[in-house]
Amino acid sequence: MYMKMSELKVGDKAEVTSVKAEHAVRRRILDMGLIKGTRFKVLRVAPFGDPMEIFFKGMYLSLRKSEAEGISVHKIGYAGDGMPMSCDKEGRSCCGEAL
Amino acid sequence: MTERKEISVALAGNPNCGKSSLFNVLTGSHQKVGNFSGVTIEKHEGYLDYGSYRIRFVDLPGTYSLTPYSPEEIVTRNYLIDERPDVVVNVLEGPNLERNLLLTTQLMEMNIDFLAALNMIDEVEEKGISIDVKQLQRLLGCHIVPTSAKKRTGIDPLLAHIVRVYEKDIEIRKNKLSFRPVIEEAVDEIAGILRREKDLQSADTRWLAIKLLESDREVYHRVQQYPVWVKVELSLQEAMREAAKLYDSDPEMLITEDRHAFIRGAMKECVRFPEERKSTATDYIDMVVLNRLLGLPVFLFVVWAIFQITFTLGSPLMDMLETLFAALSGAIEPLLVNSTLRSIVIDGIIAGVGGVLVFLPNIVLLFIGLSFLEASGYMARAAFVIDKVMHRFGLHGKSFIPMITGFGCSIPAIMATRTLKSPTDRLATILIIPFMSCGAKLPVYVLLAGAFFPPDVAANVMFAVYLLGVVVALLSAKLLKSTVLKCDSEPFVMELPPYRWPTLHSVLFQAKIKAMMYVRKAGTLILAAVLIIWAVSNYPHSEEIDRWAASEASRIEESPLSAVDKKAETESLEYRAQSLQLQHSFAGRVGKVIEPVIKPIGFDWRIGIALVTGLAAKEVVVSTMGTIYALGQTDESSAELATILKNDPSFSRATALSLMVFVLLYIPCVAAVGVMKKEIGEWRPVLLYSAYVLVLAWLLSFVTYRLALVML
Repeated sequence: MYMKMSELKVGDKAEVTSVKAEHAVRRRILDMGLIKGTRFKVLRVAPFGDPMEIFFKGMYLSLRKSEAEGISVHKIGYAGDGMPMSCDKEGRSCCGEAL
Repeated sequence: MTERKEISVALAGNPNCGKSSLFNVLTGSHQKVGNFSGVTIEKHEGYLDYGSYRIRFVDLPGTYSLTPYSPEEIVTRNYLIDERPDVVVNVLEGPNLERNLLLTTQLMEMNIDFLAALNMIDEVEEKGISIDVKQLQRLLGCHIVPTSAKKRTGIDPLLAHIVRVYEKDIEIRKNKLSFRPVIEEAVDEIAGILRREKDLQSADTRWLAIKLLESDREVYHRVQQYPVWVKVELSLQEAMREAAKLYDSDPEMLITEDRHAFIRGAMKECVRFPEERKSTATDYIDMVVLNRLLGLPVFLFVVWAIFQITFTLGSPLMDMLETLFAALSGAIEPLLVNSTLRSIVIDGIIAGVGGVLVFLPNIVLLFIGLSFLEASGYMARAAFVIDKVMHRFGLHGKSFIPMITGFGCSIPAIMATRTLKSPTDRLATILIIPFMSCGAKLPVYVLLAGAFFPPDVAANVMFAVYLLGVVVALLSAKLLKSTVLKCDSEPFVMELPPYRWPTLHSVLFQAKIKAMMYVRKAGTLILAAVLIIWAVSNYPHSEEIDRWAASEASRIEESPLSAVDKKAETESLEYRAQSLQLQHSFAGRVGKVIEPVIKPIGFDWRIGIALVTGLAAKEVVVSTMGTIYALGQTDESSAELATILKNDPSFSRATALSLMVFVLLYIPCVAAVGVMKKEIGEWRPVLLYSAYVLVLAWLLSFVTYRLALVML
């Protein structure tokens, strides 16, 4: 299912399909390693509902929903589906099995 | 002794990679802290003698990448390009290697002599991660030395390798990271064009070409001034078209993807993770600390604790310092016969510098607390919890803690804004901090609220004043961020680093740096400002008043009063003389000159004088009013001053409220203004800000005064 990162729920797992944002923001997102093909899991949202925290490649990253809006993702799993959260398509782990 | 060979080494790495700990281990006590030119980013330098070499280290700011967006990145990049250190040590966070390698790929592109320190190797082993260092060396084209700053392992091999790289005694061939064909072709073509420009021949044209394809604005500006730009631009456009046609993308994106693909490949080849990822301490802590329900209470508790440590623990120390300075004055006073000199030393220098130095315990304690939060990893999480609220007013989550600190004292609060990376976020936060009513304003409120309102109402009045400060601060932030400081807010794309115990050394070291900075400031600019305020409230000195006081004194002496009455009379005469001298001084004249301006908000010239001297420190407003009303040493609990004010027909409840609002909002003390200038780096914003707060204070005082006249 294709959607924006900001629309994902806590526990959802997804893969980045494209990153569109204002230049400086996009650059930062890319530099953090959130590029096409990166798989991540939504860990939580802050007490006031924004920003959100995601986990990928062994890193905890926070970003505002307004920034997550520019990131298109392909949802591939949800909380408790038992699906291993590998970080690449061949299923090789880069940080061990995920949460 | 023979002359040692000097090797300059720069440490570069991501934030939280243990770079600073490694720097501390390497350089020990041979450190000094300065600033990178033109920015308030701390520059840590140190050296170490190793064999026949003296190795000079510079600890560059932590960055994820070398794009020209954050000041840290620009500083790092310019340092590498302009200063050309002999050797660059790329410090890698072993347990999170993948993300760290992005910077490494960019160093590979820069054609510099570098090696990598695979830091936190102890954690890597603990987590059961295995890294094939040999293969990774071949791929990255640099020597890799496993180190652990915490366990102090690998330090000697690291030094040995630095020397080897310096002496070109290396086995590893530099590796070039190659991009997909469409990019490589464009890079070659553009580099070829650039080489035709004489001035650019000595530059690294391949690097320039890559940066141009990445739309790097700094490199754009640099290349645009040459005639070859016309051709370069055509090639860039061609590359854009190709990228769009072949990949539905742009060169910048493709370059980034290729770098990450290279890293992914290297990770696959060289790094093995354990099959099962065990939940880490960070996972467990965050389940509580960032919990939807518990996150906010935890956050508020931490802020409360920091505040308590700083101001509750700090205030006995502050009192001790105050006593110390008072004792110093007492000890010196009899030694100075000349009354002018005595006044300069005691009322000017000791009172002025002492008044600034008493904040030192607060500053040290606050920065011990803040650097613990920063180094442990909680600071980023605090920002995460509160960002939504702060963002509504155009601020960043990280602005919150400095703002709250402002309730204690603006000075450490302004210094604490250094955690904010974006210059505009930082400026906005600095400018609103003085609206957070500081501890020194409290005596003014206590005096006025206590004098004009019954005790139960007085507390509410004071609370309302504090609240007004917060509202003005947030609205001003919104105003600033939607007008003059509109551009580039810091994106909130931010790592929440794994929790780690900070070392005692690093926490104390940070606090020491801040304390030194403050003391230096107190010794120069603030001292000068305090002396000026002392001078304007003591000069010109009227001989006439002196003569009058002398004749009055002899009249009392000769009168048939009892010894006790004589003493009382003499004292009251002294106070009256002081009051007259103050009125005669420049400050007094300024008070009278500005009277027409402050009349509409209910103030007469006496308050005018107090507002002028209040620039030295806010609590001085109270003592100056005591002097004007010819009282002795006065503080907020002085019932005498309260009674006089209550009975003064020109002083009403409305005046009291208006004055509280004005003191809350108008120009902060000289110490705070000085630190503001130091942190911003320019006078212009500080002066504009001063004008803004004067107008704002006047307007809000006017509204308060008029409303109070009608309603009370």
